[in-house]
Amino acid sequence: MLFGLLCITFAIARVVPGDPARLAAGPDANEDMVETLRAKYGLDQPVPVQFVRYLRGVLVGDLGQSLRSRNAVADDLLRYFPNTFELVTLSLLLAVALGIPLGMLSAVYKDTWVDHTARIVSVSGVALPAFWLGLMLQLVIALHLGLLPLGGRLPLTASPPEPITHLLLVDALLRGQGDTFVAALRHAVLPVVTLCFPALTSIMRVNRAEMIETLKQDYIQSARAQGFSGLRIVTRYALRNAMIPTLTMIGLRYGWMLGGTVLVETVFDWPGIGLYAVNAAVSSDFQPIMGVTLLIGVNFMLANLLVDFAYGWLDPRIRRPGGA
Amino acid sequence: MTITRLGGRLLVTTLAVLVATAPAVAFERAGDRKILVFAGRQEVPTIDPSVKYDWSIRMMQQALYDGLVKYVGNPPEIVPWLAERWEVSPDARTWTFHLVKNARFHNGDPVTAEAVRFSFARTLKLNQGPAWMLSAFLKEDGIKVLGDSTIQFTLTRPYAPFLSFLPWWYVMNPKQVLANQQGDDLGQKWLTSNAAGSGPFRIKRWQQGVLYEIEAVDGYWKGWPSKDHVGGVILKLVREAAAQRAALLRGEADIVEGLSADDFDQVAKTPGIVVPNFPGMTTFGIKMNTQKGPTKDVNFRKAIAYAFDYGALVKIYNGNAVLQTSPFPNATRGHVAVPDFYRQDLAKAKELLARSAHPTGGIELEYVYVQGLEEERKMGLVLIDNLAKLGLKVKMVPLTWPNMVARGAKVETAPDMMAVFTTPVSTDPDAVAYQYHRDSWGKYYGSHFYANEEVWALIERARTLARWEDRAPLYLEIQRRIAADAPEIFGMLANRRWGMRDHVKGFVFSPVRFTGEVDLYSLAITAK
Repeated sequence: MLFGLLCITFAIARVVPGDPARLAAGPDANEDMVETLRAKYGLDQPVPVQFVRYLRGVLVGDLGQSLRSRNAVADDLLRYFPNTFELVTLSLLLAVALGIPLGMLSAVYKDTWVDHTARIVSVSGVALPAFWLGLMLQLVIALHLGLLPLGGRLPLTASPPEPITHLLLVDALLRGQGDTFVAALRHAVLPVVTLCFPALTSIMRVNRAEMIETLKQDYIQSARAQGFSGLRIVTRYALRNAMIPTLTMIGLRYGWMLGGTVLVETVFDWPGIGLYAVNAAVSSDFQPIMGVTLLIGVNFMLANLLVDFAYGWLDPRIRRPGGA
Repeated sequence: MTITRLGGRLLVTTLAVLVATAPAVAFERAGDRKILVFAGRQEVPTIDPSVKYDWSIRMMQQALYDGLVKYVGNPPEIVPWLAERWEVSPDARTWTFHLVKNARFHNGDPVTAEAVRFSFARTLKLNQGPAWMLSAFLKEDGIKVLGDSTIQFTLTRPYAPFLSFLPWWYVMNPKQVLANQQGDDLGQKWLTSNAAGSGPFRIKRWQQGVLYEIEAVDGYWKGWPSKDHVGGVILKLVREAAAQRAALLRGEADIVEGLSADDFDQVAKTPGIVVPNFPGMTTFGIKMNTQKGPTKDVNFRKAIAYAFDYGALVKIYNGNAVLQTSPFPNATRGHVAVPDFYRQDLAKAKELLARSAHPTGGIELEYVYVQGLEEERKMGLVLIDNLAKLGLKVKMVPLTWPNMVARGAKVETAPDMMAVFTTPVSTDPDAVAYQYHRDSWGKYYGSHFYANEEVWALIERARTLARWEDRAPLYLEIQRRIAADAPEIFGMLANRRWGMRDHVKGFVFSPVRFTGEVDLYSLAITAK
């Protein structure tokens, strides 16, 4: 799959119009300067040769060099990915923490005002574009109410803690820098809410639908007849069975969120791989774009692998060979 | 306590913490230093003076490094900087510069003629960034150190605009560069985010993709123009115009650039905010393909030029623009207002169209512009409306900048009309005239593929003459002839504007700087 991804991104990078060497050389550069850059970055070689070189590089962790900054793409990704990882992880945790209980409530109180309200929220999550929601949150929460910062990860004069894990929030805690942790958390609230909202509503919808179906099952009726409390039936018996499709949705949403960071990181100036990809795309700097695509692909695969393991944990029938 | 109550208390506590730690609304402070916050949209991917320049890169390079000379003021003047004086031979081939004796790099090393030689040679060798400005005239062996403080450049052929490019050739400390060399990279990797300069600021923090902080050098060799000079500058990346505007209004930024005309007008009405507003040197023109399609015909091109409503251009910028009166921007040396320059005249347009291969119109023209650039989209709508009166249709094609550059690179693919903003890098008329030379074909501003052997000969001759008195008449003729050939709709010069907190003083505008670029050296903060 990763090889396919590499082939596709490499092919797209080579067929789109635009001369990366000319763009990197600058608008006033003469032909000699453009050719110098073309030769330096191997862009004067036949495309198959460039591809083989790229593959060889990827195998040893060399993802090429950015024509814009002249930095190694692997170094740039190491710098930016922890920020994206924090953003996506926090967003996903929030989406799961809110989406599953809301889906449950909506199913249990089906066709009541609780359900109607939850469904309105759910439709909004699909209808509202992330960039619009982000800008509105900035306008209302940050600009008019002044409750939270407009963007970035830390106040201007604050320095990040010495890296241990390269995750700002975690490092701030590990270094005992409470002020930095609170400041970083304040900066994270709006982007996390923006990124989490569509995922939250999807998880809620799927969970609601599955819970409604599960609550109609005979074993649930049987449990009710035996006098188990409603809370116990919902949380211990129904939810576990309704979680398989919800988990699938969570896995898919993780991949979507990684892609969604492109918009959210741009709106909130969050220095992650989404913003890095945007900056690379507007200047036809293809090596970073290919690096980001590869990284997202790897993460998407890992996330779905974790989801597969979780299936087995939730449903013992799945982890049993030949289990039905 | 119920879960609902606990959740409620948690929410209230969280909000209280968030409000209590809300940011202060003022410039930043670091000890007794006042730190100016500049919210800009564009990254500084590298600050290596030999590798790249654009407005944000150059703003930081100018702060960290010094050149032999510097552009100052409006109209821009070239003033001595590292060089206290210079001489030029009568044939404009030999240029000798005498350096000031007290200039020091940030590590304390003196700025010597050898450092100047090394820096120029490095830029020529790497053949990137500003190299194109001089590489056709200056070779490494033409740079001679005549003493600790004297350096001489002998050009391969006379080149009068030589001096006008020198403000962008910065001097690096050879010791620092070579000490940080990796392989044979001449320090490129290191200089991406480190500086080896003698400028008024030094790097404090360089968080790529987030912010760039520089601090004022105490005892800067040139001195400071104000006792209230800024103690440092943070260039904070804020990519969205709405967020930039909000940052300015909230006091989280002292200066912002790149807002829309409407946004600038709106923030200008806010107490505590000023909007400096100056005519710049960036021309807006609609380049027409002079070698292919219907726009190959000069009468057809002129018909379009006379059909265009120039007043609409100024309206798009809410009046903050001036119309071009020549192919050269107003601040260019030798600019003259060309008599009877193009303004809307439908009768004349129809008369010229009648002389073309499409006397009644009936064809469709392609107008290519930058996707997402609202002003260029509006200009396209003006074109649609104006050219309909000639029976011509206009197809608007928004493209990303790289795709647009690719379209304009070849005469076969260059569109009928392409919207282009162009900022010349020097005030010398050669910097503009050369955009109409065949050597500019394939560059975005050469997408007209203009061909006129006589004009090219004049351009080539004018750049070799040392005396301005000899050059001036040639540039007069060049402007007149280019205008007569109408390779583009000569549009307007949009005003340069910044949103600025009123405690920021000392702003010195110079039109030769790029859009958004500010000379940080002269800035001061007067508020307590």
